[in-house]
Amino acid sequence: MHLLTGFILALLVSALLRATIPERPLLAAILPAVAAAGLLAFFASELLSMEFWAGGVGFVAILSALLVVMHPNPMVSVLFLILHLFCIALFYLMLQAQALAALQVIVYAGAIMVLFVFVIMLLNLRAEEGLRLGGGVQRIGALSVGALFAGLMFWAIRNRRDHPFFAPDALVEGFGTARQLGWLLYGKYLFAFEAASILLLAAMVGAVVLAKRRLQ
Amino acid sequence: MEREVLQVGLEAAIKIALFLFVMLTTVAYMTWVERRVSAWIQDRRGPNRVGPFGLLQPLADGVKFLFKETIVPPFVYKPVYVLAPALIFVPALVTFSVVPFGPTLHAFGRDIRLQIADVDNGILIVLAFASMGVYGVALAGWSSNNKYSLMGGLRSSAQLISYELAMGVAVIGVLMATGSLRLGDVVAHQEAYGWNVLWQLPGFLIFLVAAFAETNRLPFDLPEADSELVAGYHTEYSGMWFSMFYMAEYANMITASALIVTLYFGGYNVPGLRLLGLPEPVAVATQVIAFGLKVAFFLFLYVWVRWTIPRFRYDQLMNLGWKVLLPIGLGHVLWVSFLVLRGWA
Amino acid sequence: MIRVEFFLVMGALLFTIGCVGVLIRRNIIVMLMSIEVMLNAVNLTFVAFAREGQSMTGQIVVFFVMTVAAAEAAVGLAIVIALFRRRRTTDADDASLMRW
Repeated sequence: MHLLTGFILALLVSALLRATIPERPLLAAILPAVAAAGLLAFFASELLSMEFWAGGVGFVAILSALLVVMHPNPMVSVLFLILHLFCIALFYLMLQAQALAALQVIVYAGAIMVLFVFVIMLLNLRAEEGLRLGGGVQRIGALSVGALFAGLMFWAIRNRRDHPFFAPDALVEGFGTARQLGWLLYGKYLFAFEAASILLLAAMVGAVVLAKRRLQ
Repeated sequence: MEREVLQVGLEAAIKIALFLFVMLTTVAYMTWVERRVSAWIQDRRGPNRVGPFGLLQPLADGVKFLFKETIVPPFVYKPVYVLAPALIFVPALVTFSVVPFGPTLHAFGRDIRLQIADVDNGILIVLAFASMGVYGVALAGWSSNNKYSLMGGLRSSAQLISYELAMGVAVIGVLMATGSLRLGDVVAHQEAYGWNVLWQLPGFLIFLVAAFAETNRLPFDLPEADSELVAGYHTEYSGMWFSMFYMAEYANMITASALIVTLYFGGYNVPGLRLLGLPEPVAVATQVIAFGLKVAFFLFLYVWVRWTIPRFRYDQLMNLGWKVLLPIGLGHVLWVSFLVLRGWA
Repeated sequence: MIRVEFFLVMGALLFTIGCVGVLIRRNIIVMLMSIEVMLNAVNLTFVAFAREGQSMTGQIVVFFVMTVAAAEAAVGLAIVIALFRRRRTTDADDASLMRW
């Protein structure tokens, strides 16, 4: 129930922003503030529940993912992807993965997306004229795979009701902290850690070689 | 439960309001500081007409900017053009929110930590929002739809991410010595073992240089070079928008100074204060003032360096970041690990 | 607390959106971004299960997925730059020399 409230409120705020930002930026700045104040007054108990925020962030995550995929201008897609990555980081915070949330912002939203911005600026990409969606076979294929996937997900989640793997809420002290991550990375998963560093080295060399102007 | 949430919320709201007030006033008065100090360095006077010692000059400047005509060129990409200045300002403010500016105050029946957000991974948050600061500049350059702005934005992004690395490596030294990601613990550790600048001088120098580069201040201000790229990434901004960029740069400077102070100069710590045995409110106030003075010193240093050292060329800049600072940083990490193993820091 | 199923459904939904993005869009950069959306959906699922099973292994996997995603984005974008230099286009349909 709280989830739904979160969803709906995020929907309203997004609609307000969309309606006001291009023409009247000042209004777009004031309206969400007023909405937030109104929220605080009327829905105080909702604000306390994590589910409300999960619903709100969830809506924004889905909306921004949709816009990444659908917007004709690649730079705007990048901006929405950054927003999406922030939402995922917030999800990690809700799931007791604090170190991963910060790492997500540092690595994904702060470095990988900068790479994307760079490339778009270097190549000076413009908005595409018209989104030419694929033809007949592609569309049928996409729809059927989507339906199959949805069915699979529905069945998998339905199945959990008979075999719940839900453990009680009490977590070991320090779950999700950087310290725990560090212990595991340098202990049990040391080989994978070193292999990942070699992978990054290979990727670095590859990227430099591929993007060079002329191989001497 | 609700009452406690209300209390916590009120406490946070008061801290935030206080912080914003102090920050924005400081940003405004940094313009005055800049002009007076630069005048002093250049053997002239600086603003001294508007109010005693020209102290009302920032107000006059603010009024001037408000009345300036804001010309928004028709060919810019409006949504991103409007968003870009905010994207530079916000990371600076958020980063400052995890910096402790005083010890724990016992008042109103509760322990008030003088830090807006006492999170367990403060250093990671600092690094995270430092990397978010790249976007404002890059997007300002891109949305202006102007070759010079684009070049300025591109160069600035490259500079910012290069020096982010050096900054991170320097911070690793502090992290290893402290053993915890919380900035409150960093300050406490320095209280026990001595200020980090004494043990980790190379790391401090790296962080200082990287902080200069991250805030786009001379000698690293090629992206906004007034004589090179017209005005770099903020060419197409005028009036209120331009002043937003200006203020955002000062906000970044303040945050960077606060970070340097917290990580290397003991934060709010005053050596030997405990020996004096002062009553608690006085001790807390002294430490907060000490923090302010240290940050003020580094702001002065920023202005001093700006008017003393010439600008780096772009290839010199990138060279410094990758080929000089990064190896020194890695060597520094070795040095700090040696210190930590011996138990000296 | 929030039920874990919420995050699983969210992950599945986001994965689908990313998948559709890869299939529908022709701009290579947007395709790469859709791949990132898919990777993040998978990461979310991993973290949700890590929380539920109280095992840090899920988070370690996410760490490595992030690393690999970074490497893949870097190399992918380098390829896009190289392609653009030759053909002045970022349209995936135009890079069709080796198609049957």
